[in-house]
Amino acid sequence: MSTNFPWLTTITLLPLVASLLIPVLPDKYGKTVRWYSLAVGLIDFALIVYAFWYHYDFQNPDFQLVETYAWLPQLGLNWTLAVDGISMPLVLLASLVTTLSMLAGWQVTYKPRLFYFLMLAMYSAQIGVFCAQDILLFFLMWELELVPVYILISIWGGPKRLYAATKFILYTAIGSIFILVAALAMAFYGGNVTFDMRELGMKDYSLTFELLVYAALIIAYGVKLPIFPLHTWLPDAHGEASAPVSMILAGVLLKMGGYAIIRMNVEMLTDAHFYFAPVLAILGVVNIVYGALVSFAQRNLKRRMAYSSVSHMGFVLLGIASYTELGLSGAVLQMISHGLIAAALFYLSGVTYERTHTLMLDKMGGLGRSMPTVFALFTIASMASLALPGMSGFVGELAVFIGFATSDSYTSAFKLVVVLLSAVGLILTPMYLLSMLREMFYGKENTEFRGVPLLDARPREVFVTACLLIPIIGIGLYPKLFTQTYDVKTVQVASHARMAVSTVAQQPLQLFSEVSQAPALNSVTSGEFLGIVK
Amino acid sequence: MEAIYEYAWLIPVLPLAGAMILGLGLISFGKATSQLRSPSSIFIVSLCGAAMVLSFALFWSQYQGHEPYTRMVEWASAGDFHLSMGYTIDHLTALMLVIVTTVAFLVMIYTDGYMAHDPGYVRFYAYLSLFSSSMLGLVVSPNLVQVYIFWELVGMCSYLLIGFWYDRKAAADACQKAFVTNRVGDFGLLLGMLGLYWATRSFEFDVIGDRLQQLIESGALSGAMAALFAVLVFLGPVAKSAQVPLHVWLPDAMEGPTPISALIHAATMVAAGVFLIARMFPVFEDIPTAMSIIAWTGTVTAFIGATIAITQNDIKKGLAYSTMSQLGYMVMGMGVGGYTAGMFHLMTHAYFKAMLFLCSGSVIHGMEGVVGHDPAYAQDMRMMGGLRKFMPITAITFLIGTLAISGIPPFAGFWSKDEIIGLVYEANPMMWLVAWITAGITAFYMFRMYFSTFEGRFRGADTSVRNQIKLEQLQEMGLSMGPGAMNPHELTMEAESDHAKGDHNTHGHHYSTSPHESPISMTLPLILLAVPSILVGLVGTPFANYFEAFIHPPGEVFDMTEAAAHFDLSEFLLMAGSSVGISLIGITLAVMMYLRKTIDPAAIAARIPALYQLSKNKWYFDDIYYNVFVLGSRRLARQVLEVDYKVVDGVVNLAGLVTLLTGEVLKYFENGRAQFYALIVFAAVLGLVIFSGIT
Repeated sequence: MSTNFPWLTTITLLPLVASLLIPVLPDKYGKTVRWYSLAVGLIDFALIVYAFWYHYDFQNPDFQLVETYAWLPQLGLNWTLAVDGISMPLVLLASLVTTLSMLAGWQVTYKPRLFYFLMLAMYSAQIGVFCAQDILLFFLMWELELVPVYILISIWGGPKRLYAATKFILYTAIGSIFILVAALAMAFYGGNVTFDMRELGMKDYSLTFELLVYAALIIAYGVKLPIFPLHTWLPDAHGEASAPVSMILAGVLLKMGGYAIIRMNVEMLTDAHFYFAPVLAILGVVNIVYGALVSFAQRNLKRRMAYSSVSHMGFVLLGIASYTELGLSGAVLQMISHGLIAAALFYLSGVTYERTHTLMLDKMGGLGRSMPTVFALFTIASMASLALPGMSGFVGELAVFIGFATSDSYTSAFKLVVVLLSAVGLILTPMYLLSMLREMFYGKENTEFRGVPLLDARPREVFVTACLLIPIIGIGLYPKLFTQTYDVKTVQVASHARMAVSTVAQQPLQLFSEVSQAPALNSVTSGEFLGIVK
Repeated sequence: MEAIYEYAWLIPVLPLAGAMILGLGLISFGKATSQLRSPSSIFIVSLCGAAMVLSFALFWSQYQGHEPYTRMVEWASAGDFHLSMGYTIDHLTALMLVIVTTVAFLVMIYTDGYMAHDPGYVRFYAYLSLFSSSMLGLVVSPNLVQVYIFWELVGMCSYLLIGFWYDRKAAADACQKAFVTNRVGDFGLLLGMLGLYWATRSFEFDVIGDRLQQLIESGALSGAMAALFAVLVFLGPVAKSAQVPLHVWLPDAMEGPTPISALIHAATMVAAGVFLIARMFPVFEDIPTAMSIIAWTGTVTAFIGATIAITQNDIKKGLAYSTMSQLGYMVMGMGVGGYTAGMFHLMTHAYFKAMLFLCSGSVIHGMEGVVGHDPAYAQDMRMMGGLRKFMPITAITFLIGTLAISGIPPFAGFWSKDEIIGLVYEANPMMWLVAWITAGITAFYMFRMYFSTFEGRFRGADTSVRNQIKLEQLQEMGLSMGPGAMNPHELTMEAESDHAKGDHNTHGHHYSTSPHESPISMTLPLILLAVPSILVGLVGTPFANYFEAFIHPPGEVFDMTEAAAHFDLSEFLLMAGSSVGISLIGITLAVMMYLRKTIDPAAIAARIPALYQLSKNKWYFDDIYYNVFVLGSRRLARQVLEVDYKVVDGVVNLAGLVTLLTGEVLKYFENGRAQFYALIVFAAVLGLVIFSGIT
């Protein structure tokens, strides 16, 4: 299903080009700008849906809608865009969440032009990250998205916004250096110099090289995802950013890390993935349990949710490490699902903040009586977050659990420990989410709100939340409808990764001389690697 | 007949649709929907009625010997993993469908009277309908994953309904406690499910059973592992069916409105654990370790529940502990291999306990007219007494329920409980002894409850009782009354005047001096439930066991005439006689202590203070859990936060600070020119790209 029209270029560049017009728009009260930006967002979303619906083949695991233009031939930099089963759902997510966050920022009165300009620029950059198939272009898009986030936090954030923004930019910028080094190293490795990600994936690297590059990339993406112990920028950034920005931060930006790990570490550095996968699994468990515990101790609403993101992204790591189709499918689903749920929760906390003017749980209480609709929506979103069946979070986590439990790549003891500990997260999640609900909405109304009019949710606010909750419930009720759109791709990635397992084990690294026997796929006789990998 | 099977999916979907419509209405047009009281309730009740009619049709068809029917749709897939969902209609499902829909239907009618003055009337019906839907989805589940899904959903409905009066602090705490405790059970259920899938690659109940057996026989899976998985799965029922040690949520769950206590926390949801054990029977029955753990858990629960129920003064709490004890009997029966007996007791208990709870609701409704809308007074049996004169229908139905639960023939409870006790005797005499004593305690505390509520003198206007209750309440809140503290009486008076003021603000009507019988919408369900409470046991008599002919373990053949031929009258009389005997002893004691007042209960309590305190303080489970788990988890979380804040963040920040200081870029932040810095970073990176590209 090829087409001559450059769909992806249009989709990627439309918001950026449109944003350039914002400074010259005639707009006195900051009202034209928001309608204009919303319209651009909606048009882009419609274009994406149209392009995927008519020109994307859901049964094809390869890159589709490929476009290549020479950009800077001197550098070998190409403008190469394409989507496949892993990026396609994320492009949709990015577009939906960003459009909704512009609607969420409806009441931004301070410098609305700059605000919407940055939002649109970020829109382009996010889609660019997911579509870029040239590693330099990917890097450029990755960097391009950092700057608007930085400015958005540092201008529209909470009281500690400068600290948070600086921390964010430092963490991610240092991470970016690793990406750049790794990308260049990969590009120049061997005889032919290329930046094309598909060709990079086909290069035959030495194992030591792969391990080094893998380590560099996992640090960079580990900051983004985030992986313990590189997560500490996240509570500050999420806690200080205003609600629309937090929506994008939690909803889309974290997924860039997960996406990049699958795209590069798993797909391109498959051999090294064999050695790193157990580490990823352990880090995933640490993320789940550690994130949940810290979240439980937080007294600030948004910080509590930020740590809940850390906890939930642990499942993505587990799924990536599982070496099964189901686990990988679950990891992608968990990213989408968390994107929607976290966006909804952050949005609702913004809605609450607008009324109570505090994020401290101690100062809230008894809001349920005056804000029943917000209470109801908050409860639904929290239930989704604690993986209640019938909503998407459950399906993602269940798939990861079953995928990991049935993995052939680990010993039973290791699987038992990993599954057992990550299941502890199931007990901790309701503890922090339900006590959050209890402290916010249950009980007698806090005396601080005496005389403060606490309005219930406005139609616009219900609408934004509903747009996020409908896909959450839809996926939860019938996940196959959604997972089959990318299933062929995750199957391909997982089987590719497992193929590599057999080849890796035949050329054992000197470091791990214990590895003697080839761990054939689903065989019972496979040797053990450090007692972990079968 | 096929058509009703094809449309059987409507049974859970109809109430779901009702709940969705009301829910959407409440979220979008909250005020307007809340006004539509009778249209909403009629709509929901008729949907539930339709589901009930369908269930009866299915039950009849199954009874006529129709083949079990299963229909599946592929629900999730990834690679060669496929997971199907659907529904299955067999004997067990048909029975459960009838139990759930009838109780739900009657409870919904009752709700109209009970919640008549509540502003959350419509919301309550939406929740009720959502719960019915989830519960019906649970019983039609063909595989373990679907059971897990609906298992969690009924848990969520329970959470919403316990916390229905969300401005009460006790309700807020109770609903969270219920959800988290149940999650502990679900944690085990999930792990067990994953383990069984890992071993057998299936989620189907009978397939798991067969393959597990093969694996153990061939030595591919050790028996210990199989037992571990079975016990983990059993952890689910332990939480849901309020078995020791995860029973602590059930008594607190009584903070929810009484119709909920009847429907969810007595008749249906808490019995789901027993239902799951029945479904998993093909897996459990071949693992002796698991079976004996199940049986002993049930036994201990039955005993502990009964001993706590003796000293409860809150009528609903008393019934809650009695539910826990009866659930223990069911689990015990299942554990000794009495699949039929356990299910039989589930059925009889569902009817008589739902009725008892609805009666208690009727009593509370009547008491509220005298003492006000404070659960501490309206539910305390010390303020009741003599209510038979004021509310005769409630009193008679409560007496029927009391006789049924005490195991007096020919009431329903006798037949089912006697069957369990008989089976337990064959399995383990020690266990039988505990079960037998518990039967006596049951009769005692139930009649204590009946006498102090409905007989004697009405004590509603008694201020000394009222003060006593208030004092206890304050003590529970942790106010020390030791020397040096302020005069306890002062506190009491203060609290009381507060209370009176509060009531006037919210309700502002004058209280009558005597309670009144509840409206017809509340008494009619009581009368209707009294019928099965008396008669339903007769379907499972040992000489003509129609129940066992219908419900027996999968794979076994049961011939009723043959079983009847084996029936030994003298043995039956001995077993039944001994259990009726101990019940009568219990009743006699209750008569002497609470009706004739020839024995003073306070004197007995004073003579055995340790045992009295043990029972009164619920075996200290709540205190221990609070100190160990609640405080422990909070402390752990705070410590981890400290680590995160000081160690993890500190180290990484330090590394960042060093870089910053050396680069002297710090001054840009101080000038607030952070954007400028971002541009520099961006430009530098770009430059680096270009530079590295050229070289």
